[in-house]
Amino acid sequence: MIQVRDLCKDYYSETGKRVNRVLSNISFSLMPGEKLALLGRNGAGKSTLIRLVSGAELPTEGSVERTMSVSWPVGLSGGVGGTMTGNDNIRFIARIYGRPFREMREYVEDFAQLGKFLSEPVRTYSTGMRARLNFALSLAVDFDCYLIDEIIMVGDPRFQRRSQEELFERRARRSLILASHVPQIVKEYCSRALVMHRGRGKVFDDVDLAISIYEGL
Amino acid sequence: MRALAAFFGDLRVQRRVVGAIMMRDLVTRWGRRNLGFAWLFCEPLIFAFPVIAVWSYVRAPFEHGLPMVAFVWTGYMPLLIFRHVTGLSLLSLRANSALLYHRQVTPLDLFLGRQGLEALGNLASVVVSFFAIYVIGALDLPYNYPLMLFGFLYTAWWSLCIGMLLAALSERSELVAHIWQPIGYLYIFFSGFFVLAEWLPTKLRVIALAIDPPLHCYEMVRGGYFGPQMHAYYNIPYLTFLLTVLTLIGLWLMRDVRHHVELE
Repeated sequence: MIQVRDLCKDYYSETGKRVNRVLSNISFSLMPGEKLALLGRNGAGKSTLIRLVSGAELPTEGSVERTMSVSWPVGLSGGVGGTMTGNDNIRFIARIYGRPFREMREYVEDFAQLGKFLSEPVRTYSTGMRARLNFALSLAVDFDCYLIDEIIMVGDPRFQRRSQEELFERRARRSLILASHVPQIVKEYCSRALVMHRGRGKVFDDVDLAISIYEGL
Repeated sequence: MRALAAFFGDLRVQRRVVGAIMMRDLVTRWGRRNLGFAWLFCEPLIFAFPVIAVWSYVRAPFEHGLPMVAFVWTGYMPLLIFRHVTGLSLLSLRANSALLYHRQVTPLDLFLGRQGLEALGNLASVVVSFFAIYVIGALDLPYNYPLMLFGFLYTAWWSLCIGMLLAALSERSELVAHIWQPIGYLYIFFSGFFVLAEWLPTKLRVIALAIDPPLHCYEMVRGGYFGPQMHAYYNIPYLTFLLTVLTLIGLWLMRDVRHHVELE
């Protein structure tokens, strides 16, 4: 499970004088298999929260405890290099996560459908192709919990359908933390919601109620 | 027992991650075209050859009884190691911060991967350049191989220490980058590029050896090359002690540098 306790995050402004508190006293826990929605307007602190839960950034105060494997934010480049080919990037991810390259390559090839572009440098990819590669890379490593930051909407409708199928149906038993502006997705797949506003947050067990509060913000 | 097993488990992960970052760096910096990663040890040579050629032309063939080409080669190669390793280090963590999205990748791994590869490449170019110049007859075989080798290895360690301090400190304050520029240039005067310890007055030599680690490295390289043609002043236990202290300070700074590296 994931246990988040009294999480706070400050950023210093460029001049170093002012401190911006981006998250303040966020607490929640996530059981295996549970799906939590993050609802909040732009700038509410959703992405920061996801980065802290993933462990990419460290909290100013409070703690994040993980007893299951947690993904890096799904669809984020995570250092996908532009001069590297698709295959180089797969190899890198396979190496740092200790997974067999061949299996990962097969999965990415099948899912992202980049064909012969996998042996071309990523900087020659279109935005959509890049998004598909990033998305496929994060799904190719088997995690207990996936962190998703409004990424469901990448690619053309066909790719969107396949990503949703891959995430919500094939990985139905995995945990998810999903930041999304799309009420239908939240209603359909999430069992609880954390409504965030100006760095503060409250967990609701009633997703419909959470959505109506979010829409009234 | 269990703590020990966990420690070795972590060590295995770290080795894997550092290896992956090195492989990644090979591809991102040199790609697969033409020479590819052979540039790793050819690049330093492009600097080294003209400099050594010009220097040995404008100066007398012997300086203080030492052959000029050898004196410049033993001076310039350690300088290149230092320049290249430290030159990469300013704000190098920020540049690669996207990799920190993977939890098992630490700032120390980024440092060991990139700067470690740079140090290895430069050491390889020491070997390559030696043979290239030896073949044309401008260098003799070294008198004491192990001593010269240790001199270069200690130079690499010293460069990595300073690189680690720069990498960690430049993320904390912009001042570091500004201050480093002049120091980086002045380095050629106090590193031992131009001088042997034996040319210094006794008092100055004692002070220099007490506070200037690269002087020991230079003395080992040159003592190893020239053998009895000179008197080499170095103290390996003392140098090891100084570099261990610097390494520990560097590791300590690296440990919480993460608070200062913001992700994009």
